[in-house]
Formats: sequence, structure tokens, C-alpha cells
Amino acid sequence: MKPPRFLYCDPDTLDAAVALKAQHGFDALMLAGGQSLMPMLNMRLASPGVLIDINGITDLQRVVRTDDVLEIGAGVRQSAIESDEQVHAAVPLLARAVPHIGHVENRHRGTVGGSIAHADGAAELPCIAVTLDAVIVVRGASGEREIPAKDFFQGFLSNACAPDELVVAVRFPVTPAAAGTGFVEVARREGDFALAAAAVQAELDEQGRISRIAVGLAGVAATPVRATAVEDRLTGAAADPDTVAAAAQLAADVVTTGDDLHATAAYRKHLATTVVMRAVLAAVADAEQRTQNGSAS
Amino acid sequence: MTATQDPARTTEEGPDRPAFTYIGKDRRRVEDPRLLVGRGGYIADMKLPGMLHAAILRSPVPHARIASIDVSAALEIPGVVAVFTGEDVKAHMDPCMNFGPATITQYPIAVDKVRYVGEAVAAVVAENRYIAEDGVDAIVVEYEELPVVSDPRAALEPDAPVLHEEHGSNLGYERTFEFGDITAALESADLVVEDELHWGRSAGMPMETTGAIARPGHNGVLEIYCNSLNFSYLQFLLAAALRIPSNKLKMQPVPAGGSFGSKFTAHKVPTLAGFLALRTGRPVCYLEDRLDHLMNSDHHGSDRYYKVRMGFTKDGLITGLDVDVVDDYGAYMQFGVGTHGNALSQAVGPYRFRDLRYRLRAAVTNKCQQGAYRGFGSEVHNWVLERLVEQGAAKLGIAPEEIRKRNFVLPEEFPYKIPGGNVYDSGNYPGVLEKALSMIDLEHWRKEKERLRREENRYIGIGIATTQERSVFSSTEFWFWFDEPPFPITSSPESATITIDPTGAFQLLLHCQAMWGNSPETVATTILAEEFGIEPESVNVSYADTSRALPGTGPGGSRFTVMVAGAVRGAARKLKKKLIDIAAHTLEVAPEDLELVAARVQVRGAPERSLGLPELAASAYFFALNLPPGMQSGLEESYTYDHPYTTLPSPDRSDLGVFYPIMGHACHIAVMEVDPDTGMTKFLDYVAVHDAGTVVNPKSLGGHVTGGAAQGLGSTLYEELAYDADGQFRSSTFLDYLVPTANEVPPFRIGHVETPSPYTEYGIKGGGEGGRMVTPSAVSAAIDDALREYGMHVRELPIKPADIVATVQAARAKG
Repeated sequence: MKPPRFLYCDPDTLDAAVALKAQHGFDALMLAGGQSLMPMLNMRLASPGVLIDINGITDLQRVVRTDDVLEIGAGVRQSAIESDEQVHAAVPLLARAVPHIGHVENRHRGTVGGSIAHADGAAELPCIAVTLDAVIVVRGASGEREIPAKDFFQGFLSNACAPDELVVAVRFPVTPAAAGTGFVEVARREGDFALAAAAVQAELDEQGRISRIAVGLAGVAATPVRATAVEDRLTGAAADPDTVAAAAQLAADVVTTGDDLHATAAYRKHLATTVVMRAVLAAVADAEQRTQNGSAS
Repeated sequence: MTATQDPARTTEEGPDRPAFTYIGKDRRRVEDPRLLVGRGGYIADMKLPGMLHAAILRSPVPHARIASIDVSAALEIPGVVAVFTGEDVKAHMDPCMNFGPATITQYPIAVDKVRYVGEAVAAVVAENRYIAEDGVDAIVVEYEELPVVSDPRAALEPDAPVLHEEHGSNLGYERTFEFGDITAALESADLVVEDELHWGRSAGMPMETTGAIARPGHNGVLEIYCNSLNFSYLQFLLAAALRIPSNKLKMQPVPAGGSFGSKFTAHKVPTLAGFLALRTGRPVCYLEDRLDHLMNSDHHGSDRYYKVRMGFTKDGLITGLDVDVVDDYGAYMQFGVGTHGNALSQAVGPYRFRDLRYRLRAAVTNKCQQGAYRGFGSEVHNWVLERLVEQGAAKLGIAPEEIRKRNFVLPEEFPYKIPGGNVYDSGNYPGVLEKALSMIDLEHWRKEKERLRREENRYIGIGIATTQERSVFSSTEFWFWFDEPPFPITSSPESATITIDPTGAFQLLLHCQAMWGNSPETVATTILAEEFGIEPESVNVSYADTSRALPGTGPGGSRFTVMVAGAVRGAARKLKKKLIDIAAHTLEVAPEDLELVAARVQVRGAPERSLGLPELAASAYFFALNLPPGMQSGLEESYTYDHPYTTLPSPDRSDLGVFYPIMGHACHIAVMEVDPDTGMTKFLDYVAVHDAGTVVNPKSLGGHVTGGAAQGLGSTLYEELAYDADGQFRSSTFLDYLVPTANEVPPFRIGHVETPSPYTEYGIKGGGEGGRMVTPSAVSAAIDDALREYGMHVRELPIKPADIVATVQAARAKG
């Protein structure tokens, strides 16, 4: 478990990193927290000619909030957003999901951009990005591009970056104050990749019916996916458990992962419906709580 | 005719038991200070001048003839020193040590054929491990793939492809033992429960893998530094494989960073390192990485398929047990079927039934070989027994604790000879159960179970297990399977050497590699402290290399505490006699009027007339004219302690003899919650009570219970060395081989009961295999109990969440 030979580059600035990436293209991989890349190197599952270490680039380590957008730099550590009140207030779903990423030791090293770029269909941050219609900011030789999350994750561990591009930030829309959120994950052990996880953000109308809802799933396909059929069924529907449970059944259809060592396909389908039901009910309860708190104040 | 002899009984049992000063006290481990500051001194910490590193090319296919190997590109890489293949080992060494069938031979690099994914195909030796792995990547091998044998039952079919042509079939071994009359016992039963069970393959997973550094040294001596545990017992077998005289192989003990069985006589790694060093003429380090260890360790654990029946009277008394087991040994059978000898040592568990049939078929398949894992196969039999007792209790409507009470061997029945011949030395099974029940409010949990189901739709289960925990193996278990065993070994001794230096300070030399993260030094120094009245922390402990080691067997089968205590006490008696003789001569009193108290030899009744150890030691080393006439200078004594109670099996094997008589016992009670829609489980409470005889150190014994229970939990819910139907290995990293972490392991509440052994020094029994003997049974029962309304019945380990949900969904679909 020793990596093959590679050229190690340690740029201080984003421009320098972009120039290196442009020079080496797909032969270069970005090293951020290394929580996925280093095991892949050591097991020789990845053998890049060049490793561009972006840990020294402070420009990538900022969290900036404007009125309706929270922009998180690619180099921000996962544990930093886990403990950042500003992030919790702006995008509560991140606060719910991030503690499920590995163990705290992994989150101290792992970065937001690293998880997004690695594009694991079972990982939490890509799922949240897809659920919330986040935008992935990438930069290459010809400048910056904004890629909607739904277009960024293209398949098993593959993203929409061109050979000369790297992820520089993720922009999450700020969550409306009355929206409720829920995140439910099932994994073999704490910190393992999700067998299935559901991320839900829901808003209720004055009658307590669901007016807007987003339902994302991790662990059930090559990429994170939205359960649009569930969203459609629940939009405008009552938020009672029976209705939610019936709608959640539709989540089974987005499960495309087959049998593996840890789960059968049939189990994953049932699990997908279970976590969707539970996450929707949690989001609804959260929204009801927020509405009560809002009217009380 | 069975050899019968009454073993010597010691005096530590009963009301006359002496009070101990150090034994039985919670003390901090003496090993910890150096480990906590990173001075453990492991293989990876050692660097010898000019040392090379080896990396192994492993087979990607499960069964193939090796058509060709092209190593030329690897040899061109700067820094690669040499590459070795099966042709080289065939030409320059003999097969590895082997206690299995002689027609199943093994080399540390595959010769002609590969027989499992991960088997070594070539070894690259290079200036460092990085370059060695580059060399591995550059080797080109042509395989002619052969049909694969993955399922052990299919392996025994007449038309199955054969792994070892010389052996002729995949049946490594078959035998049926019957003790009593099983047919009559089942016919007379009011209820016969049957089951088909599968204990899946897991393994001890130490933080440090197996490693060795071999150095061709001066005078033609090959030195091997290794973390294998039994080298002083079996060193000559390594020398034989390497074709060197045993006195020209010096094995140096190096602490192991965990074993749990995985380093028990681990032979492939030191043998290969020795071979590579001899061939290159330079020191070579071969340390498994995690990939090597997972797919190619010497010690995958048991992998057994059972068909079993147990009879009960309507009152819940067990009438008999009928076992038919196929064990998947993988491609080689290094220890023969010793893991089933282990099961037979406690075949009836703590229960009184007399009729037993045990049919074993050992299958050879395209998988990594089986070896030792905490329990050595007896933990599997415990699980099978308890599965059947649970089923009987449920069908008869008897509470699980009650059916056990009705069947227990009672305290007044010891020593108790079980069907098959082994003897249980002592025990108090009802006492252990009562202790466990006193630590948990079962009635409360039974009410809570009903209430939570009714009011909150939650599923709570309670599981009880009462199992044996045999300790101190005798080597007969490895060969009584054979009518004409080639090497019917009966010795498994342990030795100790105590030296008091000229200043009165203590050196303790142990004669095996006992240090694998357990507490061998804590135990040995506690005994020494008890004997001499010194502080355990003041003793320096070291380990003999094989050029000077006395007979020693090392840890395994929960033997070390009992055996080292016997060795240390034996040496202490000799040394105390010498000290008293010196003092008697100096003080001019009769030796019988002297006693050794708190590191001084004093006159009985007149303690002011005394000599301290430094004064006596100075005399012993420097003032020969002050010694009694004829006494030799110096203060050093050794003692070799043999197994305290073992007998030969009868020639016809109607009686297997006494081979594992120091019998511990345990009761675990688990309260769990199961989520029927995710299959996830969590613990609400867990009580573990063990009886390991006289407890030397409650803290370290508690560690064994906790660690063992955590590993039992791993084998029950998480860990699986999985092969698919095509023989591909699916658990080659920790992404797939799931070791439970602190998040999954509940806080076990531990209790101790002490029923001293009548046969061991101080009445100690072994408890090293700890909770793993029990946890699988308790957890399986708790999960069944939680989902009883869905017909949950655990038949296979590990229990995966998908299996739980499938059972629930199927039951719901039936309505």
C-alpha cells in the first residue's frame, strides 16, 4: 500500500494551481484533505502523474454569505462548516448532514470541494448540493464556470470538470426562514458511506399543506439523485404520515444500485422509501416548529 | 483403555484459600507506560543496516495453473534487487510447516498453481517498499484458469474440481464421533428441534499486521525477528522448511501489535522473510500491509455449515445433540482440524446431557486458509448450542434462564467428565447466571418490551447466553482425530527464569513471545510480586530468543495466565529456597525457622532478625565464602511448568482423554432494539459475567471480556471475509471488512465470579478469549426476541440489516 511515483506541486495561489492543472490536464489530481485520494493512491487505484496540493491556498478557504447565497470555498474543512453558526443559519440541511460524513477526524481533514469533486453517489455533500440546487463553481484556463449541481455529477466518481478545471467553490441558496429540513441516513456503521440517505427541505402553506419540497437521495445510484416523483406527489398534499408514507414508496424507483456486499437491491429500495418517509416527516415537523416560533415572535 | 491419573490438586480452592496481596487487585498494566509513549518496538520500528523490503504479487484469480511469469521488466526498475517465484521456492526450500494432511502441501509462494485470490505468486525485493510495489506492478503472469470451488458443500461432490491433485479430493478430513446413543436420545425426546446454521468467516484484525525481518548473520546463523507468537514451540519446523539446521536459526521475539489468533504460529511471513534473506544474502523486511493481511493471512476464522438436532423432554431437559458440520478450510489445512477438537472440549456446553454425535467434514476450497481466531472454533460450537437451546425454550414455552437452570451441571458434580472424555474441573453455573440476573432487571425490561411495542411501535429484544470458556489447551486436540497420528505430541509447557541481580533487583525472562497487546507482563510480575513481596512495576521483563529459550508454547487457547503463573511460581519456589538457605547459613538458624516476607528473609516469630534481598544477593554474587558449603554463586532459577492435567485418548477414540479441563464459564444478557424497516440494531443494556477462576487482575480480565465481546459483536453483525460464487474476494479493504468501532460497541457491564480451579496454581483459569465465546449467542437471541412476531430466526452470521428487513417484509407480505 504505497503510491506509485508522482510529481508533487504545492502552489500558493489559485492562479498557480489553475495554471498547473491547465498544464497537466487529466494527468493531474488535486490533493485537498486526501480522505479519498490518499487511500486510492496507496492502493494504486489512482496513479496520477502530478499531484497538485491546494491546502496552502487561503483564497479557497473562505465562507461568504450574501443575502440569498452561501458560498463555501473548496478548501473549507468539513468540520469548519459543522461548527459554523453562520452556515447552520443559512443552510440548515448542511448542519444536519455534515456530522454523517465519516468520523470527526475525517472531517477535520476533508474539504467541501474535495467531497464535491470526488462525486461519490453515497456521499452527503453531493446529495445536499443536488437537493438544494447548489451551483458548483469551477475554474480553468479560460476562466470560471458555474455548473448546476444536477449537471455536475455525471456518473460513478465522475464530474463535469474539463481536464483543465478544478472546483473552487460551492454556492448554496440560503434556506427560507420557514422551511423545514430533515436528513436521515442509514449506514452499516457510524461514519460509513450511506446505504441510503435522504435529504429533505420542505415548506408548508397556511393550511399546513406542503407547498414546496425537495427530496434528495444518496447511496442508491451512481450519483446523488432527486426523488422527483415523491416531490410531485407531495407538493400541495397534506403532510400527514399516511400521505407521506404512500408518497415515499415512489422513492424506490430511483434506486439503481444493485446487490453488493452490504445491501441487496430489494433492501435498498425499501430503505430508500424508509429514509425518505422519515426525512420528510422530520422536515415537516421542523417546518411546523419554525412556523410556530415565527408566529410567536 | 484410557489413561487415567488424578492430577495434583492445589490448595487454593475452598474456604482455606489464602489471602493474596497482589493477586486479585485492580492494578494498572505494567506494559502500558512504554506503549503509551510509542516505545512498543514493533517490526515497523526496526531498521537494520542494509535492510531490503519485500512486496508480494498476489493472484487475482482463485484457481489457475501458472503458465508463465515474466519478471524482466521488474528487474529493470532501479532499486529492485531480486524477484522470486514458485520455481525458486520449489528449488531451494521444503514445504511450510503443516499439521494437516501430508498430501496438502504449501509454500510461501505458490508453486505451479494458485488456489485462491491473494495467494503469493512472486516476491519482489527492493531497496524500499515503494520500489518493491513498482516491481510487483511490472510482473506479467499468464494464468490458465481452472474451475473454481467456492461452496464447501459443492466442493465435496464427486465431480467437483480438485484443488490438490495429490490429495485426490477436496475432502480434507472426515470423522464421526458418537458418545452415548444419539438415536435413542432423540427418539426418546418429547421435542426435537432442528436447524441449519452458517457461521460466516471473520478474522482477528490487529492494528499491526504480521511481519518479520530476516538477517543472514555471523557464523551462518539466520536471525528472524518476528511478531509470530509460538516460535519457540515450533522454530525447528521453520528451520526444516528453510533447509537449515535448527541451531542455525535464531528467532528473536518482537512484540506484536495485536493478534487475537492472527499471529498464533503465523508461519508464512517469517518463513518467506527467511527465504528471501537467504537468497539475497541481505536483511529483508516483509511486513504485510492491510491488503496482504485481509486476503492472505494465515488465519481466517471458522466458516462452518451445520445441520443440527437437539432433543428435549417436555420439561426442557436436553436429551442429546446431533451435529453434522462441513467446515470450509480454504485452500490449505495448516492446523488440521484442531478447531473442532476445541469444540469437542466443551461439546455439551454447561449442560448435563450425555448423548452426542459429532460428524465433521473438512472441505478444501479456493479461499484463504483457516487458522485461529479467538475461540479457535469452540466459540462457533457455543453459538450452535445456544441457538438450539433458544429454539427449544421458545417451543416449550420455558423462559430462557429457566431452561438453562434445569440443564446446568451443578457445583457438586465437579470434576465432571463430559461425553467424549474431557473433564470440567470446577464451576458454578447457577451462580454465574444469578450474578448476571442480579445486575440487570429482567422483569423491568420484559415489561418495557411490551410497553414500547404497544405505545411507541418499538421492537426490543432480550437475549441470554450461558456458555463455556475452556482454557489451557493440551496438544492432543490436534491429533486425536487420527487413529495413527504421525506426531502425537502431548507437551505444551511454559517456562520462566527469575534472576535477582547483585543489588536485589528482579529480572524475569519469559521463554515465548507472549506480548501481543495483552497483559503477559502484568500477570507474570503480579505472581512474582505475590511470591516475593516486591512491587510488580519494579521487575524488568524480557523474552528469550530461540538460541536460549527453555520449552515454551506461548499464548493461545486462553492458556498463558495459568501456565506462566505455574512457571513463575515454580521458579520462585526454587529461588526462595536458595535465599532461605543463604540466610540460614548467615543467621545461623535452621532453614525451617525462616520465612520470606515482604522481600526479607526473617526468623519466624522474630522478624527483627532478618536479611533483605540486597544483602542476600550481595552474598550470592560476591561472597562465595559466606555461602553454605557446595552452593553455587548467583541467584537465578528456572522452571518449566507442564500442562496441569491432561490424559491420552483411548486407542479406539471412544474416549478422547482430558485435553482442555480448566473450564471457565460466562453468562451474557443483551437488551437490544431492532428497527424492522432499516435492520439497524442498538444496545439498550448489556451485562457480561465471567468466571475465570481466581482473578489475577480484574482490570485486565475485564479488558479481555470487553475486547472479546466487541469482536464477538463484529463476527455477529459486521465482519465478513466474503467470497462470491466465482471465488473472488470481496472484503479486501476496511471499506468492506467492517470492524466495529467505539460507536458500535456498547459499554459492557462486567461482573466476575470466582470458582478456583483445583488443578492450577492459585486456582487461576484462563479468560483470554473472553466475550467472543458468548456475544454471538446473546445478540442472536436478542434479535430473534425483538422480531419474534415476524418469525425472525438467526441462522447465519453475520446478521446483515438486509436479512432482517427481508424477514420482516416477507412476514408482512404474508399478512
